[in-house]
Amino acid sequence: MRIEEHPILSFKRGKKIKFYFDGKEYEGFEGDTIASALHAAGVKVLGHSHNHKRPRGFYCAIGNCSSCLMTVDGEPNVRVCIEKLREGMMVETQKGKGVLK
Amino acid sequence: MKTVEIAVIGGGPAGLSAAINAASLGAKVAIIERDDQLGGQLRKQTHMFFGSKEQYASTRGVDIAVMLQEELKKYQDNVDVYTDTTVLGLYEDGVLTIEQSGKYMKLKPERIIVATGASEKFLAFPNNDLPGIYGAGAVQTLMNIYGVKPGNNVLMVGAGNIGLIVSYQLMQAGVNVKAIIDAAPRIGGYLVHASKVRRMGIPILTSHTVKYAYGKDSLEKVTIWQLDEQWKPIPGTEKDFEVDVMCISVGLSPLAELLWQAGCKMVYVPELGGHVPLRDENMETSVKGIYIAGDVAGVEEASSAIVEGRLAGLCAAKSLGYANEDFEKMKQEYLQQLHSLRSGPVGEKIIKGLSKVTVQGGI
Amino acid sequence: MLEKTGIPTKEDIKSITPSEERRRKGPVAVIECFQKIPCNPCYTSCKFGAIKEFKDINDRPVVDFDKCTGCGVCVVNCPGLAIFIIDETYSDTEALVKIPYEFIPLPEEGSYVTALNREGKPVCRAKVVKVQNAKSQDRTPVVSLAVPKEYSMEVRFFNINDYFSDNTYICRCEELTLGELRELIRMGYRTLDEIKRISRAGMGPCQGRTCRQLIMQELAKTTGQKMEEMPMTTFRPPVKAIKLGALAGGDDNE
Ligand SMILES: Cc1cc2nc3c(=O)[nH]c(=O)nc-3n(C[C@H](O)[C@H](O)[C@H](O)COP(=O)(O)OP(=O)(O)OC[C@H]3O[C@@H](n4cnc5c(N)ncnc54)[C@H](O)[C@@H]3O)c2cc1C
Ligand code: SF4
Ligand code: SF4
Ligand code: FES
Repeated sequence: MRIEEHPILSFKRGKKIKFYFDGKEYEGFEGDTIASALHAAGVKVLGHSHNHKRPRGFYCAIGNCSSCLMTVDGEPNVRVCIEKLREGMMVETQKGKGVLK
Repeated sequence: MKTVEIAVIGGGPAGLSAAINAASLGAKVAIIERDDQLGGQLRKQTHMFFGSKEQYASTRGVDIAVMLQEELKKYQDNVDVYTDTTVLGLYEDGVLTIEQSGKYMKLKPERIIVATGASEKFLAFPNNDLPGIYGAGAVQTLMNIYGVKPGNNVLMVGAGNIGLIVSYQLMQAGVNVKAIIDAAPRIGGYLVHASKVRRMGIPILTSHTVKYAYGKDSLEKVTIWQLDEQWKPIPGTEKDFEVDVMCISVGLSPLAELLWQAGCKMVYVPELGGHVPLRDENMETSVKGIYIAGDVAGVEEASSAIVEGRLAGLCAAKSLGYANEDFEKMKQEYLQQLHSLRSGPVGEKIIKGLSKVTVQGGI
Repeated sequence: MLEKTGIPTKEDIKSITPSEERRRKGPVAVIECFQKIPCNPCYTSCKFGAIKEFKDINDRPVVDFDKCTGCGVCVVNCPGLAIFIIDETYSDTEALVKIPYEFIPLPEEGSYVTALNREGKPVCRAKVVKVQNAKSQDRTPVVSLAVPKEYSMEVRFFNINDYFSDNTYICRCEELTLGELRELIRMGYRTLDEIKRISRAGMGPCQGRTCRQLIMQELAKTTGQKMEEMPMTTFRPPVKAIKLGALAGGDDNE
């Protein structure tokens, strides 16, 4: 769900970037965050809460609320709303609390 | 440890204006922004701003951000810009701890201007944690920075300026806004903004709130109901909206953690959005050498954030011996601009709030 | 009420409407800004001094209609998009309404669109006479619509789809188009009942829910009858609602 044309803004999309979400291949653009690329691909559920196992998406999109924690390239608790997309990234939904860095 | 004369924390309209003014007067400035670009909230605002010429009225927020950065470039010899850089701590001895792309450093500025803006408030209702329920700022970021639609059908919660404007921006991006609801009996935002979305056919339902959100993995439906004069829900007035996005825009609160850490005296002022620091008319807090500007000093508007930034930049530079003989004249000019921006009925609340935290003649 | 719904009241509108005499003279600005807010570009952008001086930035704009030339400069400078130009001298029967429109796609000159009122409800079909989008307007295009004169103070937005075209279905059940309805009216059918009998419109499963209002609107427009004075058709049970079409404006919560 990308905005292709806009009355005020023009979006300059960088080159295409391949990444993996729970093992499946996805595509985003240079300049995307992990969350924006996933959302554009229709992925809204980024994880589940640890106690009640409720689905979680992003909320603030600027790194304030920690609603969007995922495991990226093996590292847990990455706020994907501010983490820029890189070629070949392995993004996974996080099981449990993850190990703190 | 690195030092600098003035560190400006936050690169929104307040921080940019502070940096421009201080640097133009000759001070050496570092401006620190956690985002990868300067501009703050302005980067997401596609609409023309209110105010007067002095605050770039009629110019779109995105373009004001560019203009302020151009202005800052004029003084680049005096300015170091740090983007992708977050200030993690501000200690009572005035030392900043900073993270830049995974690297940590310390900075000991002679003066600090905190212009960190505000963060969004949340709303309590059953299932308010479902994916598809986003803050208005998040929707704007997704849409206007990354060019991604948040969904297809939106229910906007909050008829303040942000709720009204984001609704308009959603329609511009080709997303359908089903309705705007607000618990208050009156529209909080500017009525011209309200009329603008109303004539596009978007109903504005005042005295309404969210009863329940439904959805398996993500939002599918929202039930709202009406409130009576005591703000109590009226059973039987429920209405359903089939939406995949609910956008929450129920106000901002100052992002003041750093000021708490530094030991600034804080006061809870609901009119200004929450806890804000005590300050004098130079925008200096109770901790000598720490200044404030913009939404962190009290949630208001970009127009006043710009002027407060200029004022704080001027006063911080002056305290280091920079400002020339024009100091008093400039200061009075800024105070006058702030006064006139706040002199109407919408500014009454702000003036009332400020009267609780502004100490004349130093703290 | 404006503060509750965003829709200005009749009194609000009356208070800012230029006199009929002035409207007969040529284009003029209509400023629908009813609240004191810290904003003044309308005043500072007018080169003709037609907006009274703002002593305070929170003042409300007051137009000196004798000085206003209808140039439209203020329209694109108003952050509230609250200014419209109306020109009742456009033709004998039609007025021009100039509307700021920041959406894509822009309508094409010469095409028809559906004119909406301040609630976003359809008012009439409107021809797009001009689309101005100069660089100086900074991405606030202005669309000039030709509408029947009596709607110059009604029409404030539009939907790019031409819902009032001859091909639009007025009655979905019996498949009566607007073009056919217009032909019937031209032939002399003047009441809902007459039209219903000849066309069967309103006798299908929806019982006239979708078409009745639309037929009445069209009758009002072409024959000058008042909606509230029109004789209604005989209603017969069962009364079962179906969703209204986009043309009827829809229900607020639909
Ligand atoms: C939808 C919307 C519409 C608006 N419309 C208008 C309008 O029409 N007219 C008007 O005048 N105003 C408007 N405003 C208000 C205006 O945008 C804000 O009042 C203004 O941006 C406040 O400026 P600021 O510089 O204080 O904060 P911000 O613009 O929020 O900037 C703060 C900056 O600080 C950074 N930051 C925060 N913490 C740290 C840290 N620890 N380290 C480093 N950097 C940090 C943030 O990333 C941000 O960039 C609108 C706001 C919104 C959300
Ligand atoms: S239309 Fe032109 S003359 Fe009239 S008020 Fe606006 S800017 Fe002034
Ligand atoms: S510019 Fe528009 S919103 Fe601002 S005061 Fe004038 S009419 Fe009102
Ligand atoms: S969504 Fe809030 S931190 Fe990522």
